[in-house]
Amino acid sequence: MAGAADGGGSMLSLRGVCKRFGELEVLRGVDLEVKKGEVVCVLGPSGSGKSTLLRCVNLLEPPEEGDIHLEERSICRGPGSGTGEQSWELDFVRQRVGIVFQQFNLFPHKSALENVTLAQEKVLGRSGTEARSKGSELLERVGLGDKLNEYPERLSGGQQQRVAIARALAMDPHVLLFDEVTSALDPELVKEVLDVMRELAEEGMTMIVVTHELGFAREVADRVVFMDGGVIVEEGPPAEVLENPREERTKQFLGLVLDR
Amino acid sequence: MRTTRLTALLAVLLLAIASSVVAGCGSSDDDTTAGGGGGGGSEPLTVGSDIPYPPFEQGKPGNYTGFDVELLEAVGKSIGREVEFEDTSFDTIFLDLARGNFDVAASAATITDEREKTVDFTNPYYISEQAILVEEGGEIDSVEKLNGATVAVQQGTTGQEFVEEEGEAGELRKYPQGPDAVNALKNGTVEAVVIDIPVAENAENAGQGLEISAAIPTEEEYGFAVAQGDTELLEELNEGLKEVIDDGTYAQLYEKWFKHEPPKEIETATHEAS
Amino acid sequence: MEEFLKQFFDVGFMVDHFDEVLDGFWITIQLSVISGVLALIWGLILATLRQLPGKALMPVRFFTIAYIDVFRGVPLLLLILIIAGGIPALEFLPESLRLPEWFGKPDNFWFGVLAITITYGAYMAEVYRSGIESVPGGQMEAARSLGMSHGQAMRSVILPQAVRKVIAPLLNDFIALTKDTTLVSVIALNEVVLVGSDIQSETFNSSALTLGALLFLALTLPLARLVDKLISREQSRFTRGAPRVEAL
Repeated sequence: MAGAADGGGSMLSLRGVCKRFGELEVLRGVDLEVKKGEVVCVLGPSGSGKSTLLRCVNLLEPPEEGDIHLEERSICRGPGSGTGEQSWELDFVRQRVGIVFQQFNLFPHKSALENVTLAQEKVLGRSGTEARSKGSELLERVGLGDKLNEYPERLSGGQQQRVAIARALAMDPHVLLFDEVTSALDPELVKEVLDVMRELAEEGMTMIVVTHELGFAREVADRVVFMDGGVIVEEGPPAEVLENPREERTKQFLGLVLDR
Repeated sequence: MRTTRLTALLAVLLLAIASSVVAGCGSSDDDTTAGGGGGGGSEPLTVGSDIPYPPFEQGKPGNYTGFDVELLEAVGKSIGREVEFEDTSFDTIFLDLARGNFDVAASAATITDEREKTVDFTNPYYISEQAILVEEGGEIDSVEKLNGATVAVQQGTTGQEFVEEEGEAGELRKYPQGPDAVNALKNGTVEAVVIDIPVAENAENAGQGLEISAAIPTEEEYGFAVAQGDTELLEELNEGLKEVIDDGTYAQLYEKWFKHEPPKEIETATHEAS
Repeated sequence: MEEFLKQFFDVGFMVDHFDEVLDGFWITIQLSVISGVLALIWGLILATLRQLPGKALMPVRFFTIAYIDVFRGVPLLLLILIIAGGIPALEFLPESLRLPEWFGKPDNFWFGVLAITITYGAYMAEVYRSGIESVPGGQMEAARSLGMSHGQAMRSVILPQAVRKVIAPLLNDFIALTKDTTLVSVIALNEVVLVGSDIQSETFNSSALTLGALLFLALTLPLARLVDKLISREQSRFTRGAPRVEAL
């Protein structure tokens, strides 16, 4: 099992989070606690709201209702401070929460190294030298030390995703969100990305991972959360949820996934 | 479905356009037949003219008026031909006439040797000079003072020729139409306009704060023009013109448009087509 | 037929008047380059303003859209006449703005530049916009998630990609602009068409106009081939197989 949650305090706390897209209710009151250093894997069928949940945490989709606390600080500015993005503490959140996307979203007009240094310079104000040094270090860590000057179009999917992880790490996040980061990869490239994630978990990074990779969840997660229809149906240690699920819906989902 | 509705809409639109074009072809004030008349015929004479150029030609389609218009209408009546004016641009008027776009050009056109190479002129029907037009109180009151100044003319006119040859304007601006040159003077973009005296007088009297500061006696004569070699029409027009002068209609029109008596020379002025 | 050739294709005549026509064409080029560069910049500014986010900036977006609609809807010729007639009449402006004679060029030159920039800025803004909108949404999400502000994201991530995508259509607009500079002849600027037609009314030969047309081709044909090359290069970068646009 990965670096166990050492009871170092709450990292993330979601209460009653609701999100609507027009008429469609995607999240119907989600409560979730994540401790420092915990690795939480979120499973569920498509449409269950798992990606939306992640995007609420980093405010790409500001929720309509509910409370979110990051490091025990409320990130909701309270009523009357505008709607949408403005009613949340955007900067505070974005500087502490990193995200890696299913579609990588690397900047195609910049090299791998430049992808990793851009935000360091523009947002954190680091000097070019500092940013490049940190950037090359991180790219080395994810196994791409020899690809610093390559452009994304010349990298494989797995390599691009690793650059994306390095890019997020360069901002010294306290929490990393992973939104189905291996779903768009050819099967033989999945392992290299999961290996990087495993290492991060062992180093104590707080991670919320939306994934279909049950093997990863079983081995790396401290906790597994199963979502369906916009709510959390069941959660618990991986051994419980994956081997002995309590809820019917969980059983159904796992049955389908495992039968593949 | 959407494609059939779109097709139907397009069809209706095309039909509407087609029917208005057909309807338009029938209207009488929109004559675009090229050279319908010519000498010895009885169809209306098409006349090309750069409209407006007051007081020689002005007004709206179907309602043109001015000295050239009324004079030529009188001449036409005397030779038994109706006259239909159409608006054209001055800088290509002689070329267009030579090509047969219309039968006659009547546009306050000065008879010059250069132009004679392309068209034939009738006897003169007007004796003119150029004028320098300025804003009231303006300083340019002689040809010498044109030196170094910004001067406006109408493109292709003898006014332009004069300034190019005799004057040493700092900058010569050639506008497509006479009134454009006058406007440029009014809003201050040029310092003087060199243009036919009657046009200048017209501008002076319009109460726009402009005045003629000098007359330039260039001894120009205006004639009506026909395509080179159209001698029959040329003779008819000359005959008609003589009649109109003899029976006093000419003097009447002259007084109406220029507010004074016509010069005696007109009665005997002739011009040999070359 | 011989008459026609003599009237329009008299080579001896073209040679005689070559310098004159070239002088006029030089004005055309200056007008095109200055207005073109200004329009490219102005168009980018408009496109950026048009999509500034947030409720507070709604008036900015509104006026930008209104501007673009108006100046794509008013014919350039009308605008030239209105500007050249109207600005000198604005008494309250200082002389240097009412009748600009900057860098030795007369006021009608600058009125032409103004009218063309105003109009083509609007066209190019729409081209930039299509470029911006064709950048995948994930790019902005990634940039913002890393903590960049909207402005930083635009400058470093979105606009560089957007502009690269629309270089070909922008170049096409530029070619159109060079031809529209001829409209400034109506306010008596001695660009190539006015010079040619002046020669025509003096000499009754139209070959100077043909010469002007040939000079234009010398300018626009290479540009058009350049556009083709750019388009086919962009396509071959992202599609496998034969390019859909053949470059000559």
